[in-house]
Amino acid sequence: MSKPKPSFTPWAKPAAAALFGLAFAGSAAAAPKLCGLDNGKPATGAPIIVGAVVGKTGPDDFSSSARTAKAYFDCVNANGGIHGRPIQYLIEDDQWKPEVAGQVASKLVKDRGVVALVGNGSFVEMTVNAKLYEQQNVAVVASACAVRECFEAKNIASTNQGPVPSNISAVQWGVQHLGSKKVACIGLNIPSNGVWSCNLTNEWLKDKGLQGVSVLMDPGAPDANSALLEAVASGADTMLVSLPAGLAQAFLKAAQEQDLRDKYKWISPTPLYKEGIPQALGAYWAGKVHIAIELTPWNGTGPDAKRWRAVMDKYAAKSDPRDTFSEAGFVSANIFVDTLLKMDPKKIDRANVTAALKAVKNYRSDLLCGPWYFGNADFHQANHASQMVVAEKDGFKSETGCFDVTGKYFDKIRAMEKAEHLTGN
Amino acid sequence: MYGVFFVTGLAMGALYALSGVGLVVLYRCTGVLNLAYGALGAAGAMLAWQLEQWAYPEPVAWAAALAVATLLSFVYGRFLAPRLAFREPVIKAVATLGFALVILGILNYFWVEAPRRLSLSTDDLGLRMLGVRITGTRVLVVMATLLMTLGITLFLNRTRIGLLMRALASQRDLASMLGVPVGRVEATAWLISGLLAGFTGLMFGDLVRPNPGALTFLVIPAMAAAVVGRLQSLSLTLAGGLVIGVAESMATLVHPIAAYRSATPFIVATLLLLWLQRKRRLTFSGQD
Amino acid sequence: MRDSLAGRLGDRRLLAGFALAIVAIAVVPPLLNSLWLRVMLSSVIFTIAATGTALLYARLGLVSLAQVALVGVGGWVTLRMWHATGLPFELNMLVAGAVSALVGMLVGLPALRMRGLYLAIITLMAAAGFQILVTGTQFPNGGSGWLGIAVNSIFMPRPRFGHSDEAMLRYASVVALLCFGLVAWARHSRPGRAWALIRKSEACAMAAGVNVALYKAWGFAIAGFLAGIAGALLAGTIGVLDATTFPASESILLFALTVVGGAYSALGQVLTGLLFRAAPALLNDWGVDGNLAYALFGIGLLHALITAPQGIAGQILDGLARLRRPRSER
Repeated sequence: MSKPKPSFTPWAKPAAAALFGLAFAGSAAAAPKLCGLDNGKPATGAPIIVGAVVGKTGPDDFSSSARTAKAYFDCVNANGGIHGRPIQYLIEDDQWKPEVAGQVASKLVKDRGVVALVGNGSFVEMTVNAKLYEQQNVAVVASACAVRECFEAKNIASTNQGPVPSNISAVQWGVQHLGSKKVACIGLNIPSNGVWSCNLTNEWLKDKGLQGVSVLMDPGAPDANSALLEAVASGADTMLVSLPAGLAQAFLKAAQEQDLRDKYKWISPTPLYKEGIPQALGAYWAGKVHIAIELTPWNGTGPDAKRWRAVMDKYAAKSDPRDTFSEAGFVSANIFVDTLLKMDPKKIDRANVTAALKAVKNYRSDLLCGPWYFGNADFHQANHASQMVVAEKDGFKSETGCFDVTGKYFDKIRAMEKAEHLTGN
Repeated sequence: MYGVFFVTGLAMGALYALSGVGLVVLYRCTGVLNLAYGALGAAGAMLAWQLEQWAYPEPVAWAAALAVATLLSFVYGRFLAPRLAFREPVIKAVATLGFALVILGILNYFWVEAPRRLSLSTDDLGLRMLGVRITGTRVLVVMATLLMTLGITLFLNRTRIGLLMRALASQRDLASMLGVPVGRVEATAWLISGLLAGFTGLMFGDLVRPNPGALTFLVIPAMAAAVVGRLQSLSLTLAGGLVIGVAESMATLVHPIAAYRSATPFIVATLLLLWLQRKRRLTFSGQD
Repeated sequence: MRDSLAGRLGDRRLLAGFALAIVAIAVVPPLLNSLWLRVMLSSVIFTIAATGTALLYARLGLVSLAQVALVGVGGWVTLRMWHATGLPFELNMLVAGAVSALVGMLVGLPALRMRGLYLAIITLMAAAGFQILVTGTQFPNGGSGWLGIAVNSIFMPRPRFGHSDEAMLRYASVVALLCFGLVAWARHSRPGRAWALIRKSEACAMAAGVNVALYKAWGFAIAGFLAGIAGALLAGTIGVLDATTFPASESILLFALTVVGGAYSALGQVLTGLLFRAAPALLNDWGVDGNLAYALFGIGLLHALITAPQGIAGQILDGLARLRRPRSER
């Protein structure tokens, strides 16, 4: 419980502390490292205003990333803040409506003058607000992105993967370990989500000489049966269930009704890695559904994973989910705090923060499978390495360690990473 | 392949039909088209799910679902609907929308979106037909729909209260002058409608998924079935619901329109309604 | 018949409202912060849409539960026109209005033989059908082909006089005033008289030689036109539209709020726009949980429908009238 953090990881705090000559090492030995300066002194200076736009009310609740970031910021504020300045974190709900997303982003960026947005998680806001963020020169370290526009906007970079790497990682593993030859990509018929990710997945398969078929369903459809039957009719041997958790579970339930489990191989991107899914799927599916997860497992033993759980236990509500988005929110918040701690506290304004965030490179955390960066390009897909887990009767079991995704789509990204030295090579 | 879609569509269609029957019975007796019908069912389904999570025995969950839907329906019918009794039918319907919003908001508040599965013991039974595995739940749904529709028709035609309900339905003012106890009869209609709403909600929760929003807006296809019955005839509603369900499901096979198959209920209902109204020429203000 | 301008417009009240609106358009926008500029912009846009619903309900006794879907149609046409031709916004707006008017008439065709609940249900089915259609086809965002879907969204720019949010609010408000003017003109001329007679009794109208079908269709056309204008403004404001903005439930809600706001006066439509967009935004701003806000909304709706048959605007205007009476009796 109160074990001191083992060794200082090379990427953050000691350098910053030394740079500003704080008595960091002295107080460090006494208490476990949790967040920020870890000096136990509440921050009381001029607040630094940070925002977040999340889709809370609506078809799904994407707010866990922001709630985790809030817990982390509360911890930081109780431990010296950003060199004495507390973070004032404003979370806005876009209610899954583009109009409202535009309104609340305007409120945060123009009315409240936030220096950055951290922990955004939404299906709609990135599309609507990307231009606003660019025009107002505000950077967004998002955590729960699901649509194309989030990954192809100048000022938005997310710590989560999104559907494309997640889909392709699952398929890549399936091809290697399950012998998949023809994959049915079951996704939503939303152009910037299901259509985009399934198209790229099919292209990846084609490049390998295999086959991929898209089976797109309307998220408002009353039942998953026709999607299931269409997938069956496609002649695939593997089902890639690339749907949000609720729909994915309904899809698998429909498959169970037809007793199709042993006729196909079942793989999925991250959304099924959610608390309650193993129980909802039941014993029938135990050991059969292989999920590619975007960040490391919730019961990880690395220092950041332990910090994450400790911060959540201490500063978050019991009902706040400890899921993948929460991990991503934690990482986003850490990146933000670590970046700001390196800055002159008197010069923390939007322009400087944006420049500093965009300069983040080779950020490592045991919650991520690979190094993270923001970068200056028009697209940001730093997180593209995954792990596989499988749903068992009472929970999830890890199947692999971290592996990176391959393919033509990512070669372009890797070339850029290399050219700009974003990942430490 | 056809068999699978047919069977799936039959079960969904049966539920549309049963919901339609519930709507029509209520409308005939009270003049209210209950837009909160789906929400009542959703309340039942969520409560049933929650009770299952708390490991209550399944009959309790079933009973609770039916009870809560019936109770909510009764509360609205007894306390709120009379205050709108003299307004035009559309206003009465729109008021039930307010009720639906209240229920939906509260349900979503307590049951935040999360993957949920409503399992009923009938799911585990199954039989094979037309190359397709049909769960007990689907069989139950179809049989329940037929039996309940028959039962309600008999109730309306053979019992005294049924007679009073039909009297109210045809000429409300005259019936009350003749001494029909309007309040009591209407309350019965709301109770029956609520009970049906609870049952269909529970079944939809199992066949579709226990999500308040999805279940609430299933009232719209149910209205399509009711419309096929011209908001009057139970047998036409039944037939209409089944046809709509099967057509919607079979539309998956027709590739160009498969993505839009959810629109089948509306297209069928619109075409049928237009055809049924084809002879009507004049409308007079105040009557419908 | 008085021939003066006031006479032609019918009411001193009308002129007073007009003057008040002009003052508000000039004075209010600079006072609003960024959030409220956008919220008021949404409210004004849906005020225009509500005017169409109110016209059909108050003047013709017809219920249309498809107005938000028609707004979507207007938005779609505007975006498609701009991406295809690059013509100025005002032209695209008028084309959108015309197309929505046509679609509105199509949706209203059943009205030639039905009214009340059946018509309402048919329009609701049309709205639900539109929702499904547009979820599949999405809104044009710069691609080629009939549907115009591109992989990378291109945003439609703001109209020339609406680059800033403040300017856009003024622009939309002026358009709204023009729409009110259009409706007032229609009401005080031949269509208005025909509508009044049709509402009373179609038999009488036919006996008097009024072409009932034509004037009913004209009512739907104007309502559709207004929806198209609203859709164009919405597309112009955001630059890109999403299918989730136009579900069938929003159309029912718009009708409900039209009745609650008051279908019989322009003030009612202003209130409708505020209730439809500003009230939820206020609750969101105050941090009220979105779902509880929904429930509160439902309670408010029920209460308003039960206690205010003429709508809130009706209550306000009645109150004002009662205040004025003692003065006129002097």
